[in-house]
Amino acid sequence: MNALTNYFRGPFYIALYTYREGMRRKLLIGFLVLSLLVIFGSSFIATFLDPSAETDIDLKLIKDICVSAIAIFGVLIAVYISASVVPNEVENKVIYTVLSKPVGRMQYLLGKFMGAQFIIMVNLAIMGGLFFMALYMREGVMPTLLLWSILLTYFEFLIVSSFTFAVSCAATTSLVPILGGLFIYITGNLTEYLKDVEHRAGQTGEWFDAMIGHIATGLHAVLPNLQNFSLKMQIVTGQPNDPPADVLIPNLLLYGFLYGLAGFLCAYIIFWRKEV
Amino acid sequence: MRGQDVHALKDLNIEIHEGEIFGYLGPNGSGKTTTIKMLLGLIFPTNGIIEILGNRSISSAAVKKDIGYLPEGAYYPDFLRGEEILSYYGKLYGLRGADLKRRINETLEMVGMQHARRRLLRGYSKGMRQRIGLAQALISDPRILILDEPTTGLDPIARKEIRDILLRLRAQGKTLFISSHELLEVEMMSDRVGILFNGVLQTIGSMEELLIKREMTVDVDGLTDEVATSLTERGVSIEDRTGARAQLRVGGSLSIFDVIELCKEKALQIHSVTPRRETLEELFVRVVGAAEAARS
Repeated sequence: MNALTNYFRGPFYIALYTYREGMRRKLLIGFLVLSLLVIFGSSFIATFLDPSAETDIDLKLIKDICVSAIAIFGVLIAVYISASVVPNEVENKVIYTVLSKPVGRMQYLLGKFMGAQFIIMVNLAIMGGLFFMALYMREGVMPTLLLWSILLTYFEFLIVSSFTFAVSCAATTSLVPILGGLFIYITGNLTEYLKDVEHRAGQTGEWFDAMIGHIATGLHAVLPNLQNFSLKMQIVTGQPNDPPADVLIPNLLLYGFLYGLAGFLCAYIIFWRKEV
Repeated sequence: MRGQDVHALKDLNIEIHEGEIFGYLGPNGSGKTTTIKMLLGLIFPTNGIIEILGNRSISSAAVKKDIGYLPEGAYYPDFLRGEEILSYYGKLYGLRGADLKRRINETLEMVGMQHARRRLLRGYSKGMRQRIGLAQALISDPRILILDEPTTGLDPIARKEIRDILLRLRAQGKTLFISSHELLEVEMMSDRVGILFNGVLQTIGSMEELLIKREMTVDVDGLTDEVATSLTERGVSIEDRTGARAQLRVGGSLSIFDVIELCKEKALQIHSVTPRRETLEELFVRVVGAAEAARS
């Protein structure tokens, strides 16, 4: 037990340091401020709607804007921070001072990854918390559905950030992993369409057509489906205190955790013999 | 397509003695930083053995606890205070509570930064940042210090201060491995030096072994232009002349006795006769020049 505590002490301090450093980054603060402005501003935009239209359309619009703002700015923060925590330390040589201490590469990576996760969680909590309060004040009921949505959104970001982190361990600057992270997010949201490709392929009897079908099947089986984590439609159209429909929360959390773990292991495989 | 393999270091064999300052020299790109990175397990040799304090597992926590490292030009976050940086690195060594506080106080005292411990790093001068860098390398009270360009870019006063700290550390029994381009400083501090060129160790040894005592100098007074011309014609080279005072360098076919006789003959007043040793800079130029010539 003592050995285990000692092992995780290093990653914990690295994570704290990463968190403190990361939360002061200007770009990250900019993303957060923008997202808060959008969440605040959504009520203002709703006042421009035609008063004769559907009675709760303004509320739907506000919900739509806020959920989208959290998803967009949240993923920008997740990708940016996951893509930069390691390359930045290589660039400014801080990594040398850390790895020359009694800290293994696994401990170092774990610390940086945990630090990035703290930052993502705190930012998501700030954005989600504000939306939660706004919704509660507007509707007068606890929007518990939003809490489930925020939890699932975090696990969606965990997948994106872990693979972005893996790409960043192979890169020397943060630009490539940022682009890679955005690509992962977009691809993960399009995985659902691979099913359509799979169904449509093979209809012509051509080998090329069949091959595309097989590739689509393979990709669909391997790539994470980030659409699984979205409760957006239910939040916009349903009641704020409805239970999440059509999703199995524990299964999704396990799904997110396993993909997150896979991403982190990829990062370690890339990093453990990397010459820094 | 495959790039050509580059051997950054070849047949490198260095032994560092406990309690000494070892100066590791070489032109840019000669492999100094590569050596240090290998010592720290940041990059891996294709062949060979690295042993630190009798331990071949250089990545083990037990070995790393005895090593302090100051990289060249490392950046420390501006938003942290001097003591916070040390606290962070100290915790990575497993220091906590009263032990950590004591070590922070001791290292800050050692590098002369007690007065600025609570100031944010953004208010530090370059010299102060370097001293905090040195303090983080010292936080675990390591037996070995590996320093990459510890005084580069500092003003003369800051250099002198860092040099004094390093000499104090040697007096405490620490072993210092210093990679530097500042030859004068290395010469002033080091017990032994090694010169690396193109990944190959060209020479290694103590200053006494490596620097040739090749000339004598005679410090004289009463020199006139006429006498100076006459001495030059006889093969004596005159250096550092200030008015009637100058240094005569003994070389070529003349012996020291010949020069003293000449001084008597010209009625010059002799202040001192000193054997002149080659400087480290001269050794460096000689060794690297020879290696370059051999390569081409």
